[in-house]
Amino acid sequence: MEKKKKLLLEIKDLKTHFFTEEGIVKAVDGVDFKVYQGETLGIVGESGCGKSVTAFSIMRLLDYPGKTVGGEIFFKGETLLKKSDAEMRKIRGKEIAMIFQEPMTALNPVLTIGFQISEALRMHFDISKEEAIKKAIKLLTKVGIPIPEQRVNEYPHQLSGGMRQRAMIAMALSCDPTLLIADEPTTALDVTIQAQILELMKSLLRDFNGSLIMITHDLGVIAEIADRIAVMYAGKIVEYADKKTIFHNPSHPYTFGLLTSIPRLDMETKRLNVIPGIVPNPLHFPSGCKFNTRCKFATKKCQEKEPALIELAKEHLIRCWHADRVIEEAKKIF
Amino acid sequence: MNRILKKLFSNITSLMGIIILIFFIIIAIFAPAITPPLSDDPYQIPRMSWDINPQPPGSPMSDNMIEAYEFMEKEVKWEKAICGTAEGGYDIFYGLIWGTRTAFKIGIITVSISMLIGIILGSVSAYFGGWIDEILMRITDIFLSFPFLVAAMVLTTVLGRGLDKVMIALISFGWMGYARLIRGSILATKEETYVMAAKALGVNDTKIIWKHLLPNTIFPVMVQGSMNIGSMVITAAALSFLGVGAPVGYADWGQMVSFARNWIIGSPGNAGQYWYAVFYPGIFIVLFVLSWNLIGDTLRDILDPRLRGEL
Repeated sequence: MEKKKKLLLEIKDLKTHFFTEEGIVKAVDGVDFKVYQGETLGIVGESGCGKSVTAFSIMRLLDYPGKTVGGEIFFKGETLLKKSDAEMRKIRGKEIAMIFQEPMTALNPVLTIGFQISEALRMHFDISKEEAIKKAIKLLTKVGIPIPEQRVNEYPHQLSGGMRQRAMIAMALSCDPTLLIADEPTTALDVTIQAQILELMKSLLRDFNGSLIMITHDLGVIAEIADRIAVMYAGKIVEYADKKTIFHNPSHPYTFGLLTSIPRLDMETKRLNVIPGIVPNPLHFPSGCKFNTRCKFATKKCQEKEPALIELAKEHLIRCWHADRVIEEAKKIF
Repeated sequence: MNRILKKLFSNITSLMGIIILIFFIIIAIFAPAITPPLSDDPYQIPRMSWDINPQPPGSPMSDNMIEAYEFMEKEVKWEKAICGTAEGGYDIFYGLIWGTRTAFKIGIITVSISMLIGIILGSVSAYFGGWIDEILMRITDIFLSFPFLVAAMVLTTVLGRGLDKVMIALISFGWMGYARLIRGSILATKEETYVMAAKALGVNDTKIIWKHLLPNTIFPVMVQGSMNIGSMVITAAALSFLGVGAPVGYADWGQMVSFARNWIIGSPGNAGQYWYAVFYPGIFIVLFVLSWNLIGDTLRDILDPRLRGEL
């Protein structure tokens, strides 16, 4: 084992609920994970399982009716949930920055690229407009945008999708944050651009030695970039381990299901595996384990009692009654 | 911005509006050159005679008036009432020229201040939401529940006579439309991802409203404002006509129409005898309001993508 890594972000039993007219939607209901300095954590899960809400909860960006009702978020040893709005504003952008899913809508159409990049700089540092623009040009060069001197004065609609995502990355990195949260940064892009953006993010990560939380539903992206992986289902972390463990020894039926539903070159199957059913409506979660309605390992115990998150091995957390059976099944395939 | 100007000038209706408006702007700028004031307060319409009846266009200044001005050491630069005089010898032409300045003053000051109030209240209300929104919008509702003209009239009566009082009254009951309008657009725009992205970068609320939300939402308000400049002038004229506006002898078109009330119908057998007393200030009001409405209409056409056929 290499030298001990510095813990940057620790989340304990985070609960974020939405108080809607139809009832309480428990979008995030028990999320635990750790992010170490210089590492990348991937959060995977289907749409609507609470990945983005987790990200917004860390940034404390949720407005009514969303509210973080429980748990703890420790960033550099300080609890974020007790910070005032003004303190949070100093952290956002400077310490924790975020890249959004849709580069088309995440840039303001009436402001120039240069303005939007320099805005954060001028917000957090005491620098002049000209200096900020100079820094913005440097950042644009860094993220691989050609002729940055011209691009700073252009508006988002003059840039292509990939360029816009690069500009978004430049914006997020403008104040050298220690933690970057990327909420499906490649989903809205086509595959070749996706690869370029991932490469860019990887190289930038090496440069600034920051940590990254990569939120995605694309296991390919995760395999490419992540060191550790948290698998989410219905607002809960169901499995958390390093990349190798997740891909080779999945111990949760949901992780197992996700992995078997990826087409593989080294296996001959007639039909692609699927996980039957859909993510349950967060207003009416099934009793017991939330995955029991779709799980092929489910027993009566799963319907009665919800499993707790237990430590199966070191740094390998799991929320399942039948991990041993899953492991055995997985050994046959992976 | 260039595109908007180009369209404004290439459209016949708006071009007409612009031409009329430029005509008024020139009058307002060169008012001291066209009709040099004869008293210390340039907005005081000079009298051409002491006649009770209005005098027709072209009537000369009476000899005793010329003597009086000479006694006051004022240089009389013109000796004929080009558009006639109103009751009491007030020169209509002078009133028209200096009244243009009054009209611009009323229109632009009332609209810009009420727009500012509306924008601030509306954007704060929409952006912060919750109980702030509730309180501000209920206040707006209360103000909206008063009939505009009656409320403005009562307030002017309470405050006393004078153009400044009229403007205060117009502003007090004229901001709600803007507040509602901007609130609606900001409610829609604040859900955009770029607002969230700006927040995620640590941009503060004031900057988000000012730099991110308002540039995306302000155009409907500008259109509304340009249309309202005309109607504010009309309302001020109405207040003057009802006797709570500008004082007698003040260079204000509404006041002039009001002052000519007794002479709208001429002597028996000659109904149109004193036409000039009402016609000139009346036509100036109409043209002024018309020009703003034409421009406002075209602005709306240009800025509303649905009407433009691009969506």
